[in-house]
Amino acid sequence: MALTGIQIFKLTPKKNCKECGSPTCMAFSMKVAQGAVTIDKCPHMSEEALAQLSEATAPPMKTITIGAGDEEHKLGGETVLFRHEKTLVSKNLYAVNLTAADDADAKLAAMTKVDYDRIGERMYVELVNVKYTGEGADAYAALVQKAAATGRTLVLECADADAAKAALAVCKDKGPVLNGANPSNYEAMSAIATEAGVALGVTADTLEALYDTVAALEKAGNKNLVLDVGTASIKDAFSKAVLIRRAALKDEDRTFGYPSIVNIGAIAAGKPELQAALAAVFTLKYGSILVMEDMSYAQALALYGLRQNIYTDPQKPMKVEPGIYPINGADENSVCVTTVDFALTYFVVSGELERSGVPCNLLISDAGGMSVLTAWAAGKLSAGTIAKFIEEHEIANKIKNRTLIIPGKVAVLKGEMEAKLPDWNIVVGTTEAVQLVKFMKDYK
Amino acid sequence: MPFKLTPQPFKAAIKEVEVGCGAKAIKLGGEKTFPFYSFDAEMPNAPKVGVEISDLGFENEVAGIKDFYGDVTNVVEMAKKAAAMEGADFVVLRLESADPNGVNKSVDECAELAKAVADAIDAPLAIMGCKNDEKDGELLVKVSEVLEGKNAMILSAKEANYKTIGASAGMAYGQKVGAESAVDINLAKQLNVLLTQLGVKGETVVMNLGTAAAGYGYEYVASTLDRTKAAALGQNDDMLQMPIITPISTETYGVKEAIASEDDMPEWGSQETRAIDMEVVTAAACLASGSNAVILRHPASVATVSTMIKELM
Amino acid sequence: MGRFIIIGERIHCISPVIREAMNTMNPEPILARAKEQLDAGATYIDVNIGPAESNGPELMTWAVKLLQENFNNVPLALDTANKAAIEAGIAVYNRDKGKPIVNSADAGDRLSYVDLAAANDAIVIALCSKGAVPGSLDEIMGFCQELLEHGMMLGMEPTDMWFDPLFLVAKGMQDKQQQILDAIKGFAEMGLNSTGGLSNVSNGMPKELRPIMDSAMLAMSMANGLTSAIVNPCDRRLIETMKSCDILKDNYMYADSYLDL
Repeated sequence: MALTGIQIFKLTPKKNCKECGSPTCMAFSMKVAQGAVTIDKCPHMSEEALAQLSEATAPPMKTITIGAGDEEHKLGGETVLFRHEKTLVSKNLYAVNLTAADDADAKLAAMTKVDYDRIGERMYVELVNVKYTGEGADAYAALVQKAAATGRTLVLECADADAAKAALAVCKDKGPVLNGANPSNYEAMSAIATEAGVALGVTADTLEALYDTVAALEKAGNKNLVLDVGTASIKDAFSKAVLIRRAALKDEDRTFGYPSIVNIGAIAAGKPELQAALAAVFTLKYGSILVMEDMSYAQALALYGLRQNIYTDPQKPMKVEPGIYPINGADENSVCVTTVDFALTYFVVSGELERSGVPCNLLISDAGGMSVLTAWAAGKLSAGTIAKFIEEHEIANKIKNRTLIIPGKVAVLKGEMEAKLPDWNIVVGTTEAVQLVKFMKDYK
Repeated sequence: MPFKLTPQPFKAAIKEVEVGCGAKAIKLGGEKTFPFYSFDAEMPNAPKVGVEISDLGFENEVAGIKDFYGDVTNVVEMAKKAAAMEGADFVVLRLESADPNGVNKSVDECAELAKAVADAIDAPLAIMGCKNDEKDGELLVKVSEVLEGKNAMILSAKEANYKTIGASAGMAYGQKVGAESAVDINLAKQLNVLLTQLGVKGETVVMNLGTAAAGYGYEYVASTLDRTKAAALGQNDDMLQMPIITPISTETYGVKEAIASEDDMPEWGSQETRAIDMEVVTAAACLASGSNAVILRHPASVATVSTMIKELM
Repeated sequence: MGRFIIIGERIHCISPVIREAMNTMNPEPILARAKEQLDAGATYIDVNIGPAESNGPELMTWAVKLLQENFNNVPLALDTANKAAIEAGIAVYNRDKGKPIVNSADAGDRLSYVDLAAANDAIVIALCSKGAVPGSLDEIMGFCQELLEHGMMLGMEPTDMWFDPLFLVAKGMQDKQQQILDAIKGFAEMGLNSTGGLSNVSNGMPKELRPIMDSAMLAMSMANGLTSAIVNPCDRRLIETMKSCDILKDNYMYADSYLDL
């Protein structure tokens, strides 16, 4: 982000000494902003001001890469506070918490059960948060090894240097996060993280202390950081998450320009519903890694759906794959219904069809991810495109029923479709999805 | 330089709207910050949770809801239980039976029920129509009349019927008017302008900007809520400064995650748990983006969301 | 960005009605003019009491109180060559609806008006001129820098200095108009606010043409980043143009009734 002449002027000594060749500091600042001269022409800039200037050209929030290979993930790198302002780039990741007190095998097995596809995105628990609870370095490393065997990326919540070293020895190639630095141990933990080449999690009781610790770590050369908002209370964690992100993006204070860790499982222990609610809040308000006690299918269905919506690029429509989607146990003798591949349309239409209870085959053709009328206007939904879809997907061989219900909004296509698909009975459906339940029941 | 926390409250504020009467009356709005930004300024009124009941009863609900209402046999008794639910701030009576494509009960019959419910509880009451614009146009006018003095919330006036509902609920009978639009900020603003031009005071309007369940195009809801609060507070747009009420359960109990039975989806686990999670996740997301009230159905959801609000205040 | 700010110019001692009202301290004509301007869409009201050498402080104090008490602390631009009058006005000014504006400083004899604004935490209109019509864009931007530097050295926030490129009459100075637009763009690129007596552009034109020319200039100026103008808000075409441009610049949320708001 380029600085304006005024922002540069604020950093100059304002002495109008003319040694830079310009008549005034303001004139000099304007020239620097335009790129006509470089800042080093001023002999009186303080070191702090120079550092601020070089900082100012860096992105406001760093992108931190964790994991390795197929399990590599990016955190941070955001430039806006709200998705409507531009787009959010790095979705939040979920972690399940694991400690020595857990039945590790059972917990990890339950975690890996949640693994499914939703509109082209794999939905699963990306991370395991392995928390050190004083069991000793060897026992901790053994637990970490078990967690690592799942293939998921690890967050090592551990402020004990020996345990951290032992854990990293068994998993550092997989790009874990070492979440263990605080104002009293950050030098040692930073050395361990740097040695292993992994990101370091930092926490502190207050934002002021966190800020000072991050500044000290940066000064020592470690800018591969994640900020843990702590577990003092729900309110405290929320405030810290918002203030950190706002300081970075709105107030352009790059010291706080790092992704966050929120341990929801710790601030709402034993309350899975409350954890789900808070995970929704932190999905919108600035959590990067969300640690849960567990991740049930029920929580996942709602939370991953929310996350997918929030982190969708407003410029790119969400599309479902073209194909046959049997509903309510439909078979080859069930009626066919067609609509576009725009994900929202698909979800609304398939939901209403399900509610009708009538078995039917939903045929989704490639309409460029547009809604019905938009696709029709753009030529992406026409008698030709539907006929082509039916041919290419060999619908006639797969389904015996020859009735096809088309969206009411494109009733105009009926005649042309009858011409292109002579052996099909083309029926005009409803203009709104909500009318489908009644329509399907009546139709049956 | 050390970090210094500088509170950044806006100069503008969301309008404060009171619903109900007496000790249980609630206030919506009034804040000068984004939701729960207590470090900028305290929110004067915590967001509120309403409990939705239907005049068609609870036969088709999940077990936890049925268990809660137990052997209750009429709507008035149901409302009393709803009002006493842990975490409930107000009761929302949905007059579904008025639907001309359903039971098609008469306007008078429905209004009578609304009155009986209002008389039986001291919690604030909101009335939802049957979603048929034409019928609601008559029904909610009548309901506004019979509830005179109750300071109820009438949900909702839409572009198609705002004149009759606005004039009766908002002007003649002193209720609060819900202004409903379907996830469209320009229309939401326009509806507020139209109601204001009709003579309805801004302080008697709450906005229902529409919603969607998490995963079902919720991004439009999030951005509409965010942009509305940004315009209201950041641009001091007084035609968008009305508090926001968001019905959650009417959406979430219609999606697959909440409906599919355990037999159909064995790996998904308990249908009831799914329904609750869908409800609390969608509600929490709306609250995080600025809803001043949400409407829920399940006792566990009401308790959870209410706890979350208290923790964040 | 915030919405475009109209500073209503109709309370001006050059008007016989207003001059008479100020001479006799008669509230009615002044309140009437303020009301019509606010109803028409003005945010700020300019109060020009003229040189007011004999009773400036007293007159300005009276006018500020009168207007703010009657119109819910309406924000005001205090416009006079009598600095003591401006200070007296600010002393009784209520800031609920916005800081007072000092109208105006320039880079020449009136540079000290910047000091006046800085000392009183006010906004200042900073005319980029040294008395004469600036010769070139460079000259305007040079004056802008001088004024800005002066204000910032006094601790002012740059956004509290509203730069005036000096709008010039088109009839006779057509060749200068692009330079004015370029200056506005220059201010905007530095993140600065701007304002000015925009209707100068149509001076001397037939009455029926003035709203058309003023509206065109307003649209072009807003496209280049103008954030405010000192105009007659009762010019309906001008206000409609301003409201439309505010929508197009995403300064204000669209609704079908946006012209009524």
